[in-house]
Amino acid sequence: MIEDDLHAAFERHESLTPPTGPLRAAIDRIAAVRRRRRRRTTLGGATLALLAVTGLGAAPLVTPAKAPERAEFLAGPTGGEPVGAMNLLLLGVDSSGPQPPMADSILLVHVPADRSRLYLLSIPRDLKVAVPGHGSEKINAAFASGSRREGRQPDLGAGYSLTSQVVARLTGVRVDAGAVLTYPVLRKITDAVGGVELCLPTEVLSFHTGRTYPAGCQHLDGAASVDLLRQRRTLADDSQDRDRNAQQFAAALVRRADERGVLHDPVRVSRLAADIGPHLTLSSASGSLLDLLALVPRLRSAEVVGLNLPAVLVDAPAHRYEPDPAAAPELLAALREDRLAAWVAAHPERVTGPR
Amino acid sequence: MTYEEFADSRLTALLRYAVMLTGDPHQAQDLVQETMVRAQLNWRRVARADSPERYVRRMLTNQYVDWRRGSWVRRVLLRAETDDAVPVSTDHAQNAVDRDQVWTWLSRLPRRQRATLVLRYYEDLPDAEIAEILGCAVGTVRSSISRALATLRAEYVEA
Repeated sequence: MIEDDLHAAFERHESLTPPTGPLRAAIDRIAAVRRRRRRRTTLGGATLALLAVTGLGAAPLVTPAKAPERAEFLAGPTGGEPVGAMNLLLLGVDSSGPQPPMADSILLVHVPADRSRLYLLSIPRDLKVAVPGHGSEKINAAFASGSRREGRQPDLGAGYSLTSQVVARLTGVRVDAGAVLTYPVLRKITDAVGGVELCLPTEVLSFHTGRTYPAGCQHLDGAASVDLLRQRRTLADDSQDRDRNAQQFAAALVRRADERGVLHDPVRVSRLAADIGPHLTLSSASGSLLDLLALVPRLRSAEVVGLNLPAVLVDAPAHRYEPDPAAAPELLAALREDRLAAWVAAHPERVTGPR
Repeated sequence: MTYEEFADSRLTALLRYAVMLTGDPHQAQDLVQETMVRAQLNWRRVARADSPERYVRRMLTNQYVDWRRGSWVRRVLLRAETDDAVPVSTDHAQNAVDRDQVWTWLSRLPRRQRATLVLRYYEDLPDAEIAEILGCAVGTVRSSISRALATLRAEYVEA
């Protein structure tokens, strides 16, 4: 009978089965590599999730007018998942001193139309730009100029608006949404996820607290993270190194939030949002922030690519930079036309992290 | 059950099953490797299943049947190096040649039909369990088996 022949044929060929030892080792090795790669690629989605999630609890929604924007926000998603490339502006602001706050970190997050990656473009704070109504200034001062209110608390929303205009004019892209992150907000978020794991290429000495952060990987709580993020003067490459630290911190923060399940636990998310919401300033020019949230599932597997806007020193005493005429126009054209993938492929040396 | 326990107890059986499916030790290794890497990375989901073993076997079978979607076949074809760990087949005795015609014919069957035969005549599983592994109806399993057997019988007549 054919059934018996089949039985016999199968049993006869059992001897073909190779030993499992080497196979088992290969499985473990490949799984470890893929686990690392997966952790890296989920950062993209987590970055946006963190932004959107913190946006959910945001009480003070700024531009253009508070009341209608809030009503629209509460009404839930309006246009469904946004299509096309998007640009989000994140400003890290030091509001601790007596002077009007300046934007220490200016990060433009570019989400390409195909949602394959997240590009973090750091804009040097010492870039000389034309600020509408304020003449020629460093770009970090645009925030101070916009937020200054004689005899009153600075208006962070107005600082954001002016900076976002300048960034839009500098880069030629529309800024769809953004947030102002002050150091107290960053400290609270960091502590809420139980600190972050950060790896430094070189030792950093704090100008503000005298604390030393050794080269290599270390666990930092909220206060230490903020202290590190403020450092610029003691770094070899000044603010470029600080931008790199900020990119690393952002990646470490969302990795931590993702690992700890903060982003997937509604209770912890709402607690975090309630905690930092009142201190966070957000802006959305197009649609509601819930529309942004609709993007998150699509971006979970996006790769994060860190970039700096290439700049050259034009005025050494004043420490002023201008966009590098040789490299910046090409990068910005790629950004405007949503061709950054090709640009990065042609200029791999420009990628600063956090890969 | 942890992944380690599962691999300790089931890896040999899975590899043997993959040899029966593919008819080739190298392809079987690659098939099991790809499946077990995915099982390890998603172990929490695998462990939640009523029977992790059946779940992984289903993953492996789907991987084998859907070769166009997966990439393992392409990798197998591109692979050049030989693996010394694999013993040479001991089936070269002259009197085995006739019997091994069945093995050759098996390789010409559509993958799904071959999988059905392996599950039925090697693993000795009932139709209902085969249907679950292949993700199809019990009736489909029966018709698949009878069609495969008909093909093999036709080969007998010709031979």
